[in-house]
Amino acid sequence: MIRFENASVTYPGGVSAMKNLDIEIDDGEFVVIVGLSGAGKSTMIRAVNGLVPLTSGSLEVNGHDVPDLDRAGMRDLRGEIGMIFQEFNLVDRTSVLKNVLMGRLSQVPTWRTLIGRYPAADVEIAAQALERVEILDKARVRASDLSGGQRQRVGIARALAQEPKVILADEPVASLDPPTSHVVMRYLQTISRDLGITTIVNLHFLDLATAYADRIIGLRNGELVFDGPGSACDETVFERIYGRSLTADDTMAKQAAL
Amino acid sequence: MTATESDSATSRLPPKPRPSTFAVGTTVLAIVVTIITAIDVNFSLADGIRNLANKNSVIEGLLDPDWGQLWSRRSREAFIETFQLAVLGTALGAPVALVLALWSTRFGNPNFWLRGMVRTFNNVNRAIPDLLWALIWVSAVGIGNLPGLLALFFFTLAVTTKLTGDTLEAVDRGPIEAADASGATTTEMLRTAVVPQILPSYSSFVLYNFELNLRASAVIGLVGAGGLGQRIDFFRNRGEWSELWGLVVMFFLVVFLVERLSVSLRRRLV
Repeated sequence: MIRFENASVTYPGGVSAMKNLDIEIDDGEFVVIVGLSGAGKSTMIRAVNGLVPLTSGSLEVNGHDVPDLDRAGMRDLRGEIGMIFQEFNLVDRTSVLKNVLMGRLSQVPTWRTLIGRYPAADVEIAAQALERVEILDKARVRASDLSGGQRQRVGIARALAQEPKVILADEPVASLDPPTSHVVMRYLQTISRDLGITTIVNLHFLDLATAYADRIIGLRNGELVFDGPGSACDETVFERIYGRSLTADDTMAKQAAL
Repeated sequence: MTATESDSATSRLPPKPRPSTFAVGTTVLAIVVTIITAIDVNFSLADGIRNLANKNSVIEGLLDPDWGQLWSRRSREAFIETFQLAVLGTALGAPVALVLALWSTRFGNPNFWLRGMVRTFNNVNRAIPDLLWALIWVSAVGIGNLPGLLALFFFTLAVTTKLTGDTLEAVDRGPIEAADASGATTTEMLRTAVVPQILPSYSSFVLYNFELNLRASAVIGLVGAGGLGQRIDFFRNRGEWSELWGLVVMFFLVVFLVERLSVSLRRRLV
């Protein structure tokens, strides 16, 4: 379970990115966070695995008290949380398999990483993760030789290789075309359902959000402005989140048609 | 219809920016300093040419190098020693240089004081030229191969750390964030997210450093740090210029071959 209590983040320089947030996310939920850029979506997601520290309030993730963790505790927490990025964040020069093995780093001894010899069990986990996103045949290919959609599937496999309890996805489809976006979203949804992994996804396209989310969280200027099922997301809710009515810019289907 | 001058787009371009005072100032300064120093050291091309034209045993030796040096056992041994020094100095220095370069970056060494110490060491080390290192180590451990090896080791640290450090600044930060987010230790993050990115450039720098070490190992022998330089010094003291030039020609050939090889290898790397 993930529980934000009165949690705030103020960046050096005074920008208040998250204000007194109170949210509870249950195990296995598939949650989509929507909001304009600068609304605090990235901050919220990065607070969960401690990449962004809270300035006040409390945050509990899988029983860890995040603000109180030391370095080793933080690594343990991050080992339980897979993360997927907008720009994929793969090492282009190395093979797909080595990229996915990065997901095993919190479990593999450092000396083994240094000499590049991973235990067979960890290689097996990485291979299974690649199989789940149906890209095992590319395991020995350089990451730079893949298409955008394939790269993001490798990103998902890397997160899966952690055998995580939680997956965080920060704008996972913002660099992809619409059909590929749907493929990636379907993988995330299936994985969350099949393996019971709590999944939090940042999106800025509303139609994608309502199509896949069990629950939508709307943020505006760092504050919670909506929290409910996708079906409850009507015109008035959009106005609350975006400060104006829905336009073609806000949905991927209509934008693709333009 | 032809465009008149007044309505050509060129005439509507924003005015040319003035050349920066800084650029003009430094150029003028560089020219002035060069002229002043030339006057001060009484450098004269004419004197140099007149000296060359005089009877000069060094130049005569150059015109008649002793090819026999190519087959002389002692010269060959000196050569092999120089080569060994260059190989060992590079092999020992390069891995340490990689670690020092990684530890001098913000992401590779989050501790402010430790990073400051590594950076200070790198800066001081870089300020000491190879010949000075050789002198220092000859004084410290005596004449022979060991001071030469130590000098090349530190010289390798200076060069490869600097070049690798510059490459590290341009590294893609995305994989670093991914490794951090997966719960990796800093060492694991550097090994999996950073090293693969810089490996081709780093290998190229190490090869280049080997070329430099080969050349340096010929010079440091002049102060007693082993290798070819010691043999060159031996001929110089005895005034055997033909033999000395024979040795230099031989050295030139080896350096030329190694450099060609290294250049073609490096081209494949990057």
